[in-house]
Amino acid sequence: MSDPVSSTPAQRLVGGLWCGDVLAGLPDYLEGRLEAPTLAAVEAHIAGCDWCARFGGAYASVVGALTEQLAEPEPVGREVADRLDAALDAGLDAGPGGGLDGAG
Amino acid sequence: MSDRREDIELIHATARGDRAAFSALVGRHRAAVWRLARAMTASEQSAEDVLQETFLAVYRGASGFRSESSPRAWILGTARFKAARTWRRRAGEPAAAEPLDELGCAAGWGDPELATAALEDRDRLHAALWRLSAGDREVLVLRDLEQLTAPEVAQATGLSEGAVKSRLHRARLRLLKQLRQDLNDQGGDHV
Repeated sequence: MSDPVSSTPAQRLVGGLWCGDVLAGLPDYLEGRLEAPTLAAVEAHIAGCDWCARFGGAYASVVGALTEQLAEPEPVGREVADRLDAALDAGLDAGPGGGLDGAG
Repeated sequence: MSDRREDIELIHATARGDRAAFSALVGRHRAAVWRLARAMTASEQSAEDVLQETFLAVYRGASGFRSESSPRAWILGTARFKAARTWRRRAGEPAAAEPLDELGCAAGWGDPELATAALEDRDRLHAALWRLSAGDREVLVLRDLEQLTAPEVAQATGLSEGAVKSRLHRARLRLLKQLRQDLNDQGGDHV
């Protein structure tokens, strides 16, 4: 796609954007929140910059792995759940509206 | 009925003293509160305290819930409030913000050998997450594990949406940095 116009060991200018611009905009890019002109520039940069293409893939993999691998559906053990139920039974005698205590 | 609408109905019923509705509400959000509490506290015992205190506060504060709010963000915000007291005392504030370019380089940007296969290892990911600051873990859990929207994370944390975005991006980069460091320490696959 776009050829690098300039590059340094730390930054490349590809598709009209520096690598640092792409790095800063990576979350918005991956979540589809970029406006069309910016999106086109980021895609041109990524198509011509192997550093950012590779890094964007790694970043997306980390986010995906967090969601898929660490969000266990039921991480609360039976004993913890039983103690929670007992604590709530004991603590609810005051009834609702007994003070916000941090909620709200 | 949507999950959000059902949660709101359960909170309103809880405010009227409906214990069955409250039990249902606990069942729907117990796992998320636990994950956040574990991420923000130093021990399972502290997390269990947070779990219990959170739902007691939810019960007592149900009448103060505003229907325009997100129930998930309200409950997790309560858990965060409870956990933060422990967190500030034991784990310190989130790491100071270093320049994004430097953080990106440390995370592997510009590394010609950067690979992602090692990220598939659940245990390695979990260990790296635990080496981050509690502040980084908090935002990663709320956004990437619990899938709260950015406005919901902002509601739960009291931060602006802009601050949430910035903190989340940096937390993800620090996680990548930690994964690379762990792998290099282990002499494993390059990340």
